[in-house]
Amino acid sequence: MTSRAALCAILALVGTERGAAQQMRDFSSARQRHGETRLTTRLDFAAGTLRLAPGPAGQLYGFALTYDAERFRPASRFDPATGSVRLGLESTGRSGIRVSSPGHLEQSAHVTLSPAVALALDVTLGAVDADIELGGLRLTSLRVETGASRAAIRFSRPNTTRCASAVVEAGAAEVVFAGIGNSRCERIVFTGGVGTATLDLGGAWTNDARLDVRLTMVDLTLRLPRSVGVRVEMERFLSTFDEGGWTRDGSAYLSPGYATSRHKVAVSLATTVGNVDVEWR
Amino acid sequence: MRTRSAVLALILLLVGATRPAAADPRGGDVAGVARDFWELIQQIRGEPADSIRTRTQAIQPRAIPAAEAGGFLVDLADLSHPLALEEQIGRLAAMPEREMRATIPGGAARLGAFSVGSDQTLAGHLLVVRGDAQVFGRLQGNLVAYDGDIVVHPGAVVSGDVLAIHGVVHDRGGEIGGELRTLSAAPVETAVVEPPLSAGEVTLRRVAGVLGVFLTLAALGYGLAAFGRHNLQVVSDTVSHSFGRAFVTGLVGQILILPTFGMLVVGLVLSVAGILLLPFAVAVYALLVIVGVVGGYLAVAHAMGETYTRRRLAQGLMMGAAGSSRFLLAGLAATMSLWIAWALFGWVPVAGSLIRGAAILVTWLLATAGLGAAMLSRAGIRENFAGRIIPPEALTDEYLWATPQFGVPAVKRPGAGSRTGGTGA
Repeated sequence: MTSRAALCAILALVGTERGAAQQMRDFSSARQRHGETRLTTRLDFAAGTLRLAPGPAGQLYGFALTYDAERFRPASRFDPATGSVRLGLESTGRSGIRVSSPGHLEQSAHVTLSPAVALALDVTLGAVDADIELGGLRLTSLRVETGASRAAIRFSRPNTTRCASAVVEAGAAEVVFAGIGNSRCERIVFTGGVGTATLDLGGAWTNDARLDVRLTMVDLTLRLPRSVGVRVEMERFLSTFDEGGWTRDGSAYLSPGYATSRHKVAVSLATTVGNVDVEWR
Repeated sequence: MRTRSAVLALILLLVGATRPAAADPRGGDVAGVARDFWELIQQIRGEPADSIRTRTQAIQPRAIPAAEAGGFLVDLADLSHPLALEEQIGRLAAMPEREMRATIPGGAARLGAFSVGSDQTLAGHLLVVRGDAQVFGRLQGNLVAYDGDIVVHPGAVVSGDVLAIHGVVHDRGGEIGGELRTLSAAPVETAVVEPPLSAGEVTLRRVAGVLGVFLTLAALGYGLAAFGRHNLQVVSDTVSHSFGRAFVTGLVGQILILPTFGMLVVGLVLSVAGILLLPFAVAVYALLVIVGVVGGYLAVAHAMGETYTRRRLAQGLMMGAAGSSRFLLAGLAATMSLWIAWALFGWVPVAGSLIRGAAILVTWLLATAGLGAAMLSRAGIRENFAGRIIPPEALTDEYLWATPQFGVPAVKRPGAGSRTGGTGA
């Protein structure tokens, strides 16, 4: 009640001032592939909806954007010397404190990357609803940093090359990282702030891997295929962990059939104030 | 309606078909006729026709001469900043056709549609303004089209970047060494921006806002009077009897709100057990501040209403029961009067701003005093500053307003002097 009164008072005080008109524009960029074998991609997207997926092999990258010209300007710069491209949005400095509000029309970006080049991908997201499909790409390294986002990072198909590391740093976010087995990453680091996270270790495992998970005030769901041996070392403070189905090995937890599993995943899990649920597949 | 449109379309089709092919600068092919026909239909139906296409069709293609030294210059070496180029080339495109002059370092500029033939090799950057750029041959440089499309045909080669500003890049199988970029023209979609409100609408909206606040506060006040009457009265009396002290306390309280909050959070974080209480403590602290400010403000309104109502009752100008609810209503009406004045006359230049400033200042003063009174009286628990020396049941209206209690008038009560005189005699 009191907050409603305060809101009414503020509205009455503010009066009828209007926001600036919003100008949505389209921008696109693309580059044909002329024998490039590797590409370093940095993608910065502050607000809106992002879709990233493999594109045609003959196109190094493609970037189609609908953006708010009042608050942002598009960025698409390729450096042939380093084989790197920077895509995304840059602030015009007129966006104020909020980067997204219901009154604004939604920005959207669609990024496609060539599955024919070795790809190092670095994605930074703000208030974004993101769907990042990495299956079928030749991903050598991955880093995703999210702010207040809802992000789905998926490997629906196996990565076509070995990946050194995948690092996901989630802020106040709802993150689903699915098909980790298809990623072929040797080391996976997942850091979460406030929110929910789902780590799906499904997929076609071809190697052993190490998964470091650091969570604070996050409800984590671990989806574990029974075909993979999982060993969990856990540090937890004020957190719950579903111990059903696990076997204790000293301070560690072992999944059923761990010893006979062809591929093993070592999970180091540190969680503070949160829940860890396990779904066996 | 549909029949009429169909007949009209048929007539236009016949007219369009009988036009001489030479009239179309882009050739008299069937596609051109169909395009003209479609644009005419769009215009007749009131839909926005392709203005760029219409404009470019009227242009006689020609080279744009180089500008004199220090004249208009467009550098096409770096196309990674399309917005800057859009602004720059936009100034060129806005010039009258005959006055167009632009220097393209290491390149050339064209006005109207332009083609690089399949047997041609063009060295240097190329700018095409208000027309499509068709590449069949080789272009050794960057290519920019403004108000036009870029078409790279099979077998064509562009060694650099291509950029279509207010147009589209059609890659039909050619080779483009650099990056393809497109930047749309006018806004794709604009948020529905309501037209500015009239003065009457603004006034109505403001009045509604003030009334909304008044009703909300009144509802809160009724609740407070119903369930916390004693506390409300004690805070109200504290405002009445110790206004200055309450104001200073409120001022200090406002200054200390954030530091206290910080100390609370740090203290809880540092103590291991306290960290668990942190979310609860933050919520309670915020609630206490809100209750202190809003409750204090209502108590000030209560005090104002009480003063006014008792005076009217004592003077015999008002009849009826005098309760907290009535005091609150009268006080809130008084506190809102300045805001109503602003709502009604806020549109007046200067005066409107002055009224608004005065309303803000008075509201802040009252809220500060209210917060201070709430703090002094510990939310109406302590009566130390409420001036309650006499039991509340003795504080009748007659006692409070008809009977002077302090100073010389109290000495000169009717009858007091005669009794003194009598004794002397």
